[in-house]
Amino acid sequence: MASTGISPKEELAFRRGALDGKQMGPKEREEMIKAHLPPEPTSSSPSPSRSGSKQRKRRRSSQPKLKHGRVRAFLHFLIYQTISLIFSVFFRFRRAWRLSWYKMRAIMGHHHHTPEWIVSDVRNVERLPNHLSVILDYNEDDEDQGTAGVEGLLNDVCEIAAWSAAAGISFLSIYERKGVLKNYLPQTHAAIWKSLETYFGSRRRPTLTVKAPHMTSYSPPATPNSEPTENGASTARPHITVLLLSEHDGRDTLIDLTVTLAQMAQKGDVGINQIDSNLIDAELSDHVSTEPDLLILFSPTVVLKGYPPWQLRLTEIFHLPDNKGVNYQVFLQALQKYGKAEMRMGR
Amino acid sequence: MSLHTSGISRWLAASPPVAWTVRQLRELLIGALRQGPIPQHVAFVMDGNRRFAREHHIETVEGHNMGFEALARILEVCYKTGVKVVTIYAFSIENFKRSKHEVDALMAMAKLKLGQLSEHGALLDRYGASIRILGQRNFVKPDVLEAIDKAVAMTAHNKRAILNVCFPYTSRDEITSAVKSTVEQFSTPIENIQTPSKRTFSASHITQHIRKKMLGEDNGDVSEQPDSRSTSPASSKEGKSAEDNHSSSTSTAINPPEKEESRGPTPAYPDAESITAETLTDHMLTAGAPPLDLLVRTSGVERLSDFMLWQCHENTSIVFLKCLWPEFDLWHFLPVLVEWQWQQKKLQEQLRGRGRSKADGSRI
Repeated sequence: MASTGISPKEELAFRRGALDGKQMGPKEREEMIKAHLPPEPTSSSPSPSRSGSKQRKRRRSSQPKLKHGRVRAFLHFLIYQTISLIFSVFFRFRRAWRLSWYKMRAIMGHHHHTPEWIVSDVRNVERLPNHLSVILDYNEDDEDQGTAGVEGLLNDVCEIAAWSAAAGISFLSIYERKGVLKNYLPQTHAAIWKSLETYFGSRRRPTLTVKAPHMTSYSPPATPNSEPTENGASTARPHITVLLLSEHDGRDTLIDLTVTLAQMAQKGDVGINQIDSNLIDAELSDHVSTEPDLLILFSPTVVLKGYPPWQLRLTEIFHLPDNKGVNYQVFLQALQKYGKAEMRMGR
Repeated sequence: MSLHTSGISRWLAASPPVAWTVRQLRELLIGALRQGPIPQHVAFVMDGNRRFAREHHIETVEGHNMGFEALARILEVCYKTGVKVVTIYAFSIENFKRSKHEVDALMAMAKLKLGQLSEHGALLDRYGASIRILGQRNFVKPDVLEAIDKAVAMTAHNKRAILNVCFPYTSRDEITSAVKSTVEQFSTPIENIQTPSKRTFSASHITQHIRKKMLGEDNGDVSEQPDSRSTSPASSKEGKSAEDNHSSSTSTAINPPEKEESRGPTPAYPDAESITAETLTDHMLTAGAPPLDLLVRTSGVERLSDFMLWQCHENTSIVFLKCLWPEFDLWHFLPVLVEWQWQQKKLQEQLRGRGRSKADGSRI
C-alpha cells in the first residue's frame, strides 16, 4: 500500500511469515523490521537503527549530532504550526458551512408547531425508539442562542417533549449535568403541559408524567388517561413520560449501590456471588432509568458529560457535527438514522 | 483505498524511492504531531473487519488479519507520538455468539501473534510498551491463555507505554467485577484488632442509651468516653448526640469502649461510606491508567457497544469514523488527532477566559 511506506515484498512477508518461499525464523523477521523501529530508548547505544538517521549520517557525518536534532526539531515545529494553521482554517470554514446548511434545512423543514407535520416527517421511519434520551446544556450566560438559564433550558425541554409526543415516542429522558430542573418538577410539568397544548390543542394533547429518580413522579390527577367523547365511547390519549436525569444518577448512584451492597455484605445479607450484572441492571433500571434506544446530542462533538454509564451499553448515539443548540432537524435526522440502523449484538 | 489498484500506481508506490519518501514523510508528520498536546489514553473499537472482507471478496479471517496489520500501524503511530496508554477492543464476550469457525480462527490468530511477539522481546523493549489483557480469563482456552501469560510476563517490566487488549471483555462485566471486588474488600473483616474501627461509638449502644433515658431508669452502666475523638463526619454526628446524652445523664460509670468492641459479636469492617468514585475506578481493569482522552470507533457505527462505559462517559472525546478498520491508518488518524488538539487548545482558551472574567468580577 502506498501510504504505509512498506514495500510489497515486506508486506507479503509480514502477512505470510515467509520470504521468497522460505519460512522466516525470529532472526530474519527482526532483520527485516529493523528499518521501521524507533531508536533505542537508551541514548548511549551507538548503533542508529532508523533509516532516517542512517541517511543523515551518510550525508553530513562531519556535523555534530546535536545540530541535527535541532534542525529536526525546528522542522517538526514548523510542520506542526503549518498543519494546525491549515486545519484551523479548515475547521472554521467547515463549521460555518455546516451551520449555514443546517440553518437552511431548518427553515425548509420547519415543523410549524403542527403534530401532523411531524407525523408525516417520521412516516417513513421503519422503527421508533421506545426510550429516547437527549443531553442538554445549562448555559449560565447567553452567548448567541438565547437559551440561557433555567428558562432557556425549560424551553428546550418543552420543545423536545412536544416533538417526541408528536412522533409517537412515549418515554423521553433528559440529561442535564447539574440537574437544575429537578428542583422545579411541578413548574417543568406545567411548562411542558402548556407547550403540548400549543402543539396539540387542549382536547387532543397527550397526558404527561414528569419524574426524576428518587423523587415522586409528578402527574396531576386532573389528567385522566381517557376522556369520554360525545357519543360516550372513550378514546385513549397517548401518554408521554419525561424523566429528568443529572450527573448524580451516573457514577454517584453506582457508588451508592456499591455502598449499600457492601453494608449488606458486612451484615451477611448478601453473598459476593449473588452480585451479578443482572442484579445491578435490575436495581439501576428500577431506580434510575432503563437503557435508552437512542441518545441525541445537540452539541458540536460527542462528549457524554457524565451521562449514566451503565445505561449507555448499546445506545445509538447521534449528533450532527458542529451543530449548536436544540434544533428540530437534529431530532428528525436522529430518528431517521435510527430507523435504518441495524443492531447486531456482537454477531 | 482498494486492494487492487491499477498497475502503474501500484508499481510506483512499490518503487523504493517512493516507499522511502513516504516513510520519511510519516516520520516527519509524527514528529510534528508531538509538538502539540497529545492524548494520554486512546481507545479504539476495531470495527469493520468483516465488512471489509465482504466488500473486497476475501475470507473473513483474512479481513481480521488485515485488521491486525492496521492495528500494528496505528500502534506505531500512537507510541511514536507519545500516547501513554492504548486500549483496544479486540474481542467482546458477545462475540462468542459468532460462528465457531470465526471464533476459532480469531483465537488462533491471537495465539499466533502473541507467540510471535514473545519471540521479539528485545524489539518490544524499544517501544517500551507492556501488554495487559483485560477481560474474563475463564472464557479463554488454556493454550491461548498460555500465550497471553507469556507475552504479558515478557513485557511487564516496560514502563513507558501500555497496550490494553480487551479480550473477552464487556464494560458491564467490568463494572460488575469492580463492584464485586469493592464489596469483597469492604466486607472482609479487619484482621488487626489493635486498630479499632473508625467509629468509636456503636449504634446499638447509643440506642440502648437513649432507650434507657426514655424509660427513665438510669442504671449507670452506660459507657461513653467523653474524650474519644471522632474521625469521620458521620461518626462526629453520632459522637455529638452521644455526648449530649452523656451531659444530660449525670451518673455514668465509665467502661472502656475497646472492651465493649472486643466483646461484641460483630467483627470490625472498613467503613462502607468511604467508597468513592476513585475506589471503583481503582477496581476497574484500567486501574492506574490516565483518564481516557479519545475514543475512536471505525466503520460508521455510532454506538459504544459495551466498551469503556465507565471510562468514557465523562470528558472523553468520542469520534466515529466512516472508514473500515483495515483501512485505518495515519492518514485517517491525523485529522482526528489534529482536531482533538484544536479542541483542546480552544478548551484551554475558554478556561483561561473564564478564569480571567471571574478575576475581573471579583475585582469589581
